Amino acid sequence: MRRHSGTCSTVLTDNRRLDGAMLRRLFIGQCLVLALHLAYLPAWLAGLALGVAGYRVVQRRRHLPRASLLLRLAAVGGLVVGLRAQYGTLGSMEGLIGLLLGVYLLKLLETHDRRDARVLVMIGLVAVAVAFLHDQGLLMAAGALVAVAWLVQSLIWLAGAATLRQAWGETAWLLGLSAPLMALLFLGMPRLGPLWAMPQLDRAATGLTDTIAPGDVAELSRSDARAFRARFLGPVPSPAQRYWRVYTLSHFDGIRWSRVTPEEQAATLGVPPARVARSGRRSPWAGEAQSRFEAELLLEPDSRPWRPSLGTPLTVDEPQRFLSDATLEGRAPLESRALLVLTSSGISPTYPGAVPLTWHTLLPRDGNPRTRALARRLWRESGADPERYLRAVLARFGQAPYRYTLSPPRLTGTDRMDAFLFDSRAGYCTHYASATAMLARLAGIPARVVAGFLGGERHPEGHFTVRDYDAHAWVEVWRHGAWRRLDPTAAIAPERIEQGPQAVAGSEAFLADAPFSPLRWRELGWANQLRLGWERLEYRWQRGVVGYQDEARRTLVAELVRRLEGLLDLLAARLPGQGALSPFLGLLGALVLALGGTRLARRGRRYLRVRGDERMLIRELQAWLARRGLGARPGESPAAHLRRIVPQAGRAGQALEACARDLERLAYAPVEDAERRERQRHLRRSVGEVRRHLPRRPVGR
Amino acid sequence: MSPVAGHGWRDRLAERWRRRRVSPLEAPLRQRRLFLLPTRFGMGWVVLVFLLLLVGTNYQNSLAHGLAFWLFAVGVVGLLRAWRNLLGLRLRLRLPREVFAGGRARLGVILEARRDRSALMLQAADSVARVDVRGGRGEVELALPTPRRGWMTAPRLRLDSTWPLGLVRVVAWIEPDTGWLVWPRPLEEDAPSRHGHTPGLEPRDFAGLRPFMPGDRPTRLAWKSWSRTGVLTTKVFDAPPRGALWLDYDADVGDPEQRLSRLCGRVLALHRAGERFGLRLPGVVLAPGVGAAHRRAALDALARFEAVPPEGGGP
Repeated sequence: MRRHSGTCSTVLTDNRRLDGAMLRRLFIGQCLVLALHLAYLPAWLAGLALGVAGYRVVQRRRHLPRASLLLRLAAVGGLVVGLRAQYGTLGSMEGLIGLLLGVYLLKLLETHDRRDARVLVMIGLVAVAVAFLHDQGLLMAAGALVAVAWLVQSLIWLAGAATLRQAWGETAWLLGLSAPLMALLFLGMPRLGPLWAMPQLDRAATGLTDTIAPGDVAELSRSDARAFRARFLGPVPSPAQRYWRVYTLSHFDGIRWSRVTPEEQAATLGVPPARVARSGRRSPWAGEAQSRFEAELLLEPDSRPWRPSLGTPLTVDEPQRFLSDATLEGRAPLESRALLVLTSSGISPTYPGAVPLTWHTLLPRDGNPRTRALARRLWRESGADPERYLRAVLARFGQAPYRYTLSPPRLTGTDRMDAFLFDSRAGYCTHYASATAMLARLAGIPARVVAGFLGGERHPEGHFTVRDYDAHAWVEVWRHGAWRRLDPTAAIAPERIEQGPQAVAGSEAFLADAPFSPLRWRELGWANQLRLGWERLEYRWQRGVVGYQDEARRTLVAELVRRLEGLLDLLAARLPGQGALSPFLGLLGALVLALGGTRLARRGRRYLRVRGDERMLIRELQAWLARRGLGARPGESPAAHLRRIVPQAGRAGQALEACARDLERLAYAPVEDAERRERQRHLRRSVGEVRRHLPRRPVGR
Repeated sequence: MSPVAGHGWRDRLAERWRRRRVSPLEAPLRQRRLFLLPTRFGMGWVVLVFLLLLVGTNYQNSLAHGLAFWLFAVGVVGLLRAWRNLLGLRLRLRLPREVFAGGRARLGVILEARRDRSALMLQAADSVARVDVRGGRGEVELALPTPRRGWMTAPRLRLDSTWPLGLVRVVAWIEPDTGWLVWPRPLEEDAPSRHGHTPGLEPRDFAGLRPFMPGDRPTRLAWKSWSRTGVLTTKVFDAPPRGALWLDYDADVGDPEQRLSRLCGRVLALHRAGERFGLRLPGVVLAPGVGAAHRRAALDALARFEAVPPEGGGP
């Protein structure tokens, strides 16, 4: 009973105080919303939430006064200082999101009546939407669903639910009934492009770096983060064909290989930027190259606009920047996952690119003397034949004491190539690719290092997941009017090419930074099944829901229209084609139409007759009078009723009398049809008069 | 009261609007008499949906779009459910039984509907109450102020609800065409005046016989008659007629309402004491009597009494 009166009080006026149960509900809602953000925001926000809730509890227990303005200002000030310390600025996207979350949590301090509570819930809903900027995965969506359901439920408590069953029942009705409408809007509503520039989240530069040096830590092999996913729309490449090109590194300074951006290239060569990179859907460089693979890529957001391609990129569905070194770049970094359909040649480019080939033979004048000596010796031994020279280089790596390892000794100093080739003799793809490219250039063969990915995990249903640890580096050399792929890793560790990095023995550094990664248990059958199942679900979610943009909507609508037209065509084709059936169907249709028509006509006639009927007229008049406080008494006949109210009817009195007279005559006297019609007409006129002349308030009482 | 003909168009419009919006009692609330008014929170909700749509558009975020669409859909469904919460509801009144001026009339309102209804706020005059309809029926009592005696028409009832989300307020006005009598405010006197006190109220005069009923005192049984006829009867005695106690309006002085209040107080006191009394008002005479019906008739007469302006000085 106390509980009931308590909920009543929240209903009665906006100014009543909220009870403890309601505050608890609001706090739980805050916790659910905060849980969506916690992986991306500083953890002290959780402390803030607990602090505010604790303050409210103490305040209610001890009947302390409301939080003073000073306290609230101090709390907001502390929040701002904390966020500044965390991010350096409040203008960044993380800072703004933190501010929103903080204000949401602090608002509980001054939540006293129903209006405050509703404002709090609204901020919570905005915070849920903002959480989707971090991530749009399946887990996030499920968490958001729970949070939204809880927030809606607290709104229903605020509107006056008295029992748990009432509140959750109404929540279920609201969410359930609105879901189809939501789905319809989601699928059918046209989507607009961004209306104005917004502050964006800083994306970590995952995946590939665009400089490599032998001896650096193999960062990528330690991470199981997803780089991208791919689904092939035609033939699927074999493992040895899955070389995803991302960058070419053509500048060597003696220690590291680095990428020269198109802008730098254009500036160095003194040519317009369009000579080195062009936007479009079709490669301007590739000419008539034959397309071998068509892949649908689901790209992860990244701060750099790199796009992978199997061999030379040829066409894409959305405009991208095609670079002259046969790599691809997006026009802007990706803020969220996006789909890209790409056709590619599967082989290294067959054109030199905008940069002259001599650029690819440049080397520092000195350094690495032992390597230079080795190159001279091999060149001499191969009889100045580039092919034999390159074979000799790869053959050298294929022999002991060179070995493949993901945790090679660290190399320092300026002559790193010497240190690798002659001292440590252990390394992974980067080491071998750097050395091979340098040796090729020492012999005057144009060469560059290509950074990209090799392989990817194939899922049972067909798509590939390429992860950071699939990153790879290899070499391209210019031979006989085309670039040719040269992978020294294949010489030293062929199992890396066929089975992936985890196949390489002694890979203790593999997944070193992801101790709990489910990928560590891929040997365990059921765990691997579970992981693959989850990834498949996640992939479908990302492709189908998150990737649903305006393009997909138009496709869907067009598909629907096409199907509908197909159905109509089918019907049109079937019906007359059935010979004897069609006249029969036509006859049936006509019959149905005729029957329906006569029924409708009969109903309409009955309606007209009933309307003309005096009893109907009088009943309507009586109801009309009743609405004006002149209703019939129980057991009173219509005529008696009309006569009784004559004194109160003022000017309408006469008409009422006439009505009563006509009614009695029609009801009790044997009248001819002609007279009946005449009387009915008269009655109708009188009724109209009553309605026109009845005073707006009854006369007397 | 007179017809409002001749009043300004403003009054006529107001009257028209009043008629347009009120619903009669005991009829299901109709769709055209339900009014949906957006609340401030409802307008805030619209802004919220737009905001989320902007987030979705500017960040090209599918799930933010989805959330915006969902909140919009929830709003639409909430609107329909708010409207359905009042549609088809029937109201009946349980009129207050004993109402004195200056007190409060306890007007019972019974709400009936087939479906369950939630969080309905019923308001009349300054009295507000919350009611839910569960299992087809809900009941609530409104305490209405009754400042004056006489006929009181039932006030217009305002039924509203912001269930389920508080986005819209659904309002219906119901105008009952009924009322009740408000009795005068009773003024208790210390010693109710008692003219002609008669001692010994024991019934003494033999009045006849009547069939025996269990519980009759044995001393009253007509044993002789029983021995003669074999039928057990009880002797009945009449109480002596008491001195007729008359409450007279003209015997008092002062303000008419004061006089009526004093009469009212006396009626109540005499009824409590179980005495016979008559009531004499200018133009109304109530023969002496006793019992609840008599008390009610007397109080009704007091409530209906219309004081004539004093003629030529008067008492």
